Amino acid sequence: MVETMFMQPEAVGPAPDRWSSVTRAVVSAGVVLYLACVIVPPLAGPPPASGLAVAALQPLRPFVGGLYLGHGYRFFAPDPGPGHSIRWSMEFADGSTRTGVIPDRDADRPRLLYHRRFMISEKIAALVPPDGAPEEARRQSRGDWQPLVMDVAGHLLDRHGGGRVTLHLVEHYLPAPEEVMRAEAGADVVTSLGTYARAEESLP
Amino acid sequence: MRTATMRTATMRTATMRTATMPADVFRAAATAARGDRPSARGAHGAAVRGPECGRPGQGGWLREWLAAWNAFWFTPADPLPLALVRIGAGALLVWAAFVWLLDADAFFGAAGWQRPENVWRMNDQPWQWSWYFAAGSPGGVRLLAGLTLVAAVMLTLGIATPLAAVVSLAGFVSAANRAPLNVFGFDDVLGMLLVAVAIGPAGAVLSVDRLLAPDATASRPTVRANLALRLLQVHLCVIYLFSGCGKLLGGSWWEGTALWGAAANVQYRTLDLRWLAWHPFVTNALTLATLWWEIAYAALVWPRLTRRLVLAMAVPVHLGIGLAMGMMEFGLAMLVANMAFVPAAVLRRAVGPFLGTARERS
Repeated sequence: MVETMFMQPEAVGPAPDRWSSVTRAVVSAGVVLYLACVIVPPLAGPPPASGLAVAALQPLRPFVGGLYLGHGYRFFAPDPGPGHSIRWSMEFADGSTRTGVIPDRDADRPRLLYHRRFMISEKIAALVPPDGAPEEARRQSRGDWQPLVMDVAGHLLDRHGGGRVTLHLVEHYLPAPEEVMRAEAGADVVTSLGTYARAEESLP
Repeated sequence: MRTATMRTATMRTATMRTATMPADVFRAAATAARGDRPSARGAHGAAVRGPECGRPGQGGWLREWLAAWNAFWFTPADPLPLALVRIGAGALLVWAAFVWLLDADAFFGAAGWQRPENVWRMNDQPWQWSWYFAAGSPGGVRLLAGLTLVAAVMLTLGIATPLAAVVSLAGFVSAANRAPLNVFGFDDVLGMLLVAVAIGPAGAVLSVDRLLAPDATASRPTVRANLALRLLQVHLCVIYLFSGCGKLLGGSWWEGTALWGAAANVQYRTLDLRWLAWHPFVTNALTLATLWWEIAYAALVWPRLTRRLVLAMAVPVHLGIGLAMGMMEFGLAMLVANMAFVPAAVLRRAVGPFLGTARERS
């Protein structure tokens, strides 16, 4: 019974579907190409990755990009870390202010919409070095994360009609089990992402 | 004894049946390559490879490889599992497209979370194409997002399935490549499902296409169905393997505490699992079980003996992630992908009433 449990039904009725050897050869080449596009991207990144894998990825880029196959599949790896959000405070021409957070657990519904916005803070957080990082590293990384933050700031200004907006990246404290048992909680880490005006100039 | 008899019958029709697992495939391929039956059987009816099997010289080893490759990829398969994958993937894309539409201007518009020129600069261009780059107005953006939604509905129902599958895939890729700040694992998996659905005859059964144009031969096993399912199976193994291996770089997975890191993350949490703080061994067990299941999946999902255990484990793992961390779409997408490993016979028994099997037989 165990042996037959997973058998597939035998072909009955019309003649079985058979492909010629030429067709099989051509399709096999396509299969190999597709499998390469599936296997090489997670080998090539995220770091650590070998130079060989990175080089092997180069000729595959049209297919990997075209079919959206460039993934690392490192779900919650190497370690599940703290979550992040972006707090913003906007100033309007009439002197009023408004604050918000990305993502907004109360307003961003359904949950998939929350996750789409949550990814904004998570992906920007992955590029922003911690406060204790060397100044040189912080300066170099600015070119990576600041264009993203400027776009987010510009979108917020367009959406709400404000004059300028200040953003902060918040790393939410991840308590240890012992802290939860003692009903203790650490402080969140807040990093400034800058203040941005409508002209997309970062203000001091 | 009965089992052994049935297996013998199966071996005789090895080239006819829709083998799905390498154990079958390699055995059948070796037999086909030699042009004879297995030379001996073990005490429990299992086929035993004959002494000539795998013998070097005369191209035997290479011929076996070629036969195994052909059997693995080009043996006709029942299209039913692919049709069920189509329904699952289509429904998930309907939901994803609807949510994209809720804030389409922000995701895809010129003044969105990311401006097109910045996405173009960040992506690997010109390869990471998106039809949203060509949309010049908010109306155009919503039209294209709506087109994806319509195509996804058609795909789910099986209306003009081949066209719907291609448009759905194009709409999906366009969204993912235009909004790289907003995608996550769910999108990785959904893309994999949609590629398989676009390749295979996903509308052969359980579709409006079949209702409108009944075709008794449509549900017969085909090579295209097998190709699509095989690509999905191998891709799924790659996902689990890299996901598991990536975790091996982290100390918390070895310590068995990683699950706590996920459970205590307030940004993800939808189910309060802080009671785990008082039960560290439970956290250890769940963490290690998840880790080793992911790593072993690619090996253990193929043998019949372990396949059911591996597939059964997928249910609590992915539903658990969905319920506890608010990523139900990701969990469901992974479960739909796992369906590619469920034998068609099992699925056929489950959905038989919807297939009109009796009518087809008559």
